[in-house]
Amino acid sequence: MKRSFAVVTDSTADLPREWRERYGIEVVPLKVLFGKETFRDGVDMNNEEFFRRLAASTTLPTTSAPSPGEFADVYRRLARDHDGCISIHIGAQLSATAEAARVGASSVDGFKVEVVDSQTVSMPVAFLCRVAAEYETLEAATAAVRPRVPKTRVLALLDTLRYLEMGGRLSRAQAMIGTMLDLKPLLLVANAEIKPVDRVRTRSRAISRMVDYFKGDLPVEHMAVMHAQAADEAEQIADALRRDLPGREVTVGQIGCVLGTHTGPKALGLVYLKS
Amino acid sequence: MVATKTLGVDGPLFKRALLGSLTWLGANHEEVNRLNVFPVPDGDTGTNMLLTLQSAVEDVKESNAAEVSKIAKLASHGSLMGARGNSGVILSQIFRGFARAVEGKSSLTPAELAAAFEEAANAAYRAVNKPTEGTILTVAREAGRAAATAASTPDATVPRVIAGAAAGARAAVQKTPSQLQILRDAGVVDAGGFGLQLILEGMLKTIEESDPAFAALAESKKPVIPAAQVALDLPEGGWGYCTEFLIEGANLDTELIRGQIEALGNSVLVVGEPELVKVHVHTDDPTRVINLAGGYGKLLKLNVGDMSTQHRRILETEGGGQGAAHRPNGIGIAAVVAGRGLVDIFRGLGVDAIIEGGQTMNPSTQDMLTAIESVPYDEVILLPNNGNVIAAAKQVVGLTKKKVHLVETHSVPQGVSAVVAFRPERPAAENLRAIRAEAERVQTIEVTHAVRDTRSNGVKVRKGDVIGLINAKLEFAGDDYAEVVKQALGKLGPDSYELVTVYRGEQATDAEMSKLESEIRSHYPGLEVEVQQGGQQHYPFILSVE
Repeated sequence: MKRSFAVVTDSTADLPREWRERYGIEVVPLKVLFGKETFRDGVDMNNEEFFRRLAASTTLPTTSAPSPGEFADVYRRLARDHDGCISIHIGAQLSATAEAARVGASSVDGFKVEVVDSQTVSMPVAFLCRVAAEYETLEAATAAVRPRVPKTRVLALLDTLRYLEMGGRLSRAQAMIGTMLDLKPLLLVANAEIKPVDRVRTRSRAISRMVDYFKGDLPVEHMAVMHAQAADEAEQIADALRRDLPGREVTVGQIGCVLGTHTGPKALGLVYLKS
Repeated sequence: MVATKTLGVDGPLFKRALLGSLTWLGANHEEVNRLNVFPVPDGDTGTNMLLTLQSAVEDVKESNAAEVSKIAKLASHGSLMGARGNSGVILSQIFRGFARAVEGKSSLTPAELAAAFEEAANAAYRAVNKPTEGTILTVAREAGRAAATAASTPDATVPRVIAGAAAGARAAVQKTPSQLQILRDAGVVDAGGFGLQLILEGMLKTIEESDPAFAALAESKKPVIPAAQVALDLPEGGWGYCTEFLIEGANLDTELIRGQIEALGNSVLVVGEPELVKVHVHTDDPTRVINLAGGYGKLLKLNVGDMSTQHRRILETEGGGQGAAHRPNGIGIAAVVAGRGLVDIFRGLGVDAIIEGGQTMNPSTQDMLTAIESVPYDEVILLPNNGNVIAAAKQVVGLTKKKVHLVETHSVPQGVSAVVAFRPERPAAENLRAIRAEAERVQTIEVTHAVRDTRSNGVKVRKGDVIGLINAKLEFAGDDYAEVVKQALGKLGPDSYELVTVYRGEQATDAEMSKLESEIRSHYPGLEVEVQQGGQQHYPFILSVE
């Protein structure tokens, strides 16, 4: 049976193209600003172009949420052939996107929009969208998605904290690396908080800590390995997980432009939805 | 000049003026960033103002409203939603005051425009807890006054009022150093004030374009910008935490909330509407602020930044960091360290007390005891970081009421690994297990000169030879630092390691340092090399291999 409602998310969900088509999910882009030039994440600029430009740019880009008006436009269009929608977005602690969606929705009369603050970022948001898309009614989808929000986890391993820090999302002190030594912080996004779970000096140690932490959180409903220009390492991690968890789907995904602005290149993520 | 006289500020004109401001601020915001020294020299005032203005204009862009009141309202709401940083929030209040003043009006006469500028400044003053003169506030007020003066002349026109406001702003910006000591010391004008001047100038440029007859009247000059960011002394007690968020609720009373927040910090800004209030405060206790505000409604866009860290980063003399944070496990760390750079590194990693000493200047038991007593926790991990210090360190354990955990680190690299592994939320037993495991994993290479002829571990050395020790055992002798290090790394087996951290000693020259670095890189391309200024004596190089 065809779903009567629409599923909407934003570009920071890192929704794989294939899922987008298979589940019919609408993606509203955030924006990346290089100086005065604005690009819609994943629309005017793809990941490769973004990181190429990031490497060449002398000033760091900034990012911005879609405006309430942009959301309103999307909802108005969807209202033509849907009786409502669930709009699942990047955590409000990280971005004004969910707020913009809410304000945008309030300006569209007669169309029910359930805005969900996912409290997280990247593919866990896509997991929630996938969960929603499996249901036939908006009520059932919402009832399935909301209790899963506290179960989203993002383990992030950044090659440098510079980008996150410049974007104002986390200070060196908060990441426990208030020092001149080049430390690799392992960060966890859970329950609307970013917190450091470990700090180590080398990347391979950090990767094994990340995998160990993940294993301590099993069982999981969905999982993925995310990367920004670190495909080989991401595939290695995914292969190891597939060996440890036979028969389970381990997706490898790419971090988009807006997220990449805050993670910088060579970031790795192990993201999942706890059972 | 009949045509000019009839020009009023309606919706489309105000919209164009705002877009013009955005363009002009956008073109110059880096200059604003460079001027930023107050209240925290984080160099982002221009960016914050630009983003706030962008947000103000976001909805305006999509509007075709004929009435100035509608455009002003959109700008007010947009800027509140997107307000970033101190200046951004004040800018949002300027828009808010302006919107209030023009409520219900479809077009503004020159006098009404001037009155709106004045009300905008007043609103901004009201929004700020303790208004500081010599900032964007002063500039807004002077711009309003100059606009009013221009409006009171018989041949007043809208362009003249805006030109008056821009000129008033420019003059006020130039005077800011005489009002604010910190600007005077830095030799700069106020960044936020300059940003506001740019916004008014951008409006003026737009108006000039709409009215070519007027263009000759006003010439917008950019001020000469004196040199950039400067070092500021860290105030006593640090800068605290810059805490910002929005409260979403119903019937929010900004006055009441402001009063309560003021008790918890300074640079307080509490502004907004009954449904949405923006809070900005510099506080030592962000948790209390958040708990208080959480009682009023849902908190959005929460952002807490450690300004001391931001500040130090700007000055490129980092430190503190974790040390400033609360330790949930109640465990402190004391470490024996010599060398300025190494002391900074250990402090930066969160060590509470440093005992100066090392190879040739072994600290006494009393030195260590004093340091341990100075740590503000009852449980202390003690890191001797040198084999010769361990014996004295063992004595300390029984001499204090505090619970002292001696972790027998034999070298600086072991000490660094130990501190890196420390986690403030882990209980002692777990921490000690992790710390000891990490300290044992790291390999230490120390490079120094033989002080006499000797034979040790099968290696014959003469006085003055360069010698290389692996984990305190003499392994190589030679006459060149790079050569000895190359051999030592070869013996360790570089394939098993990823990272070499070189702590450069006091006596190592630049040439020796760069030779060592390039030799490691070229012989062991699989290893990452990080150089740190250790500043230790007697050991030109200490290397950590992990």
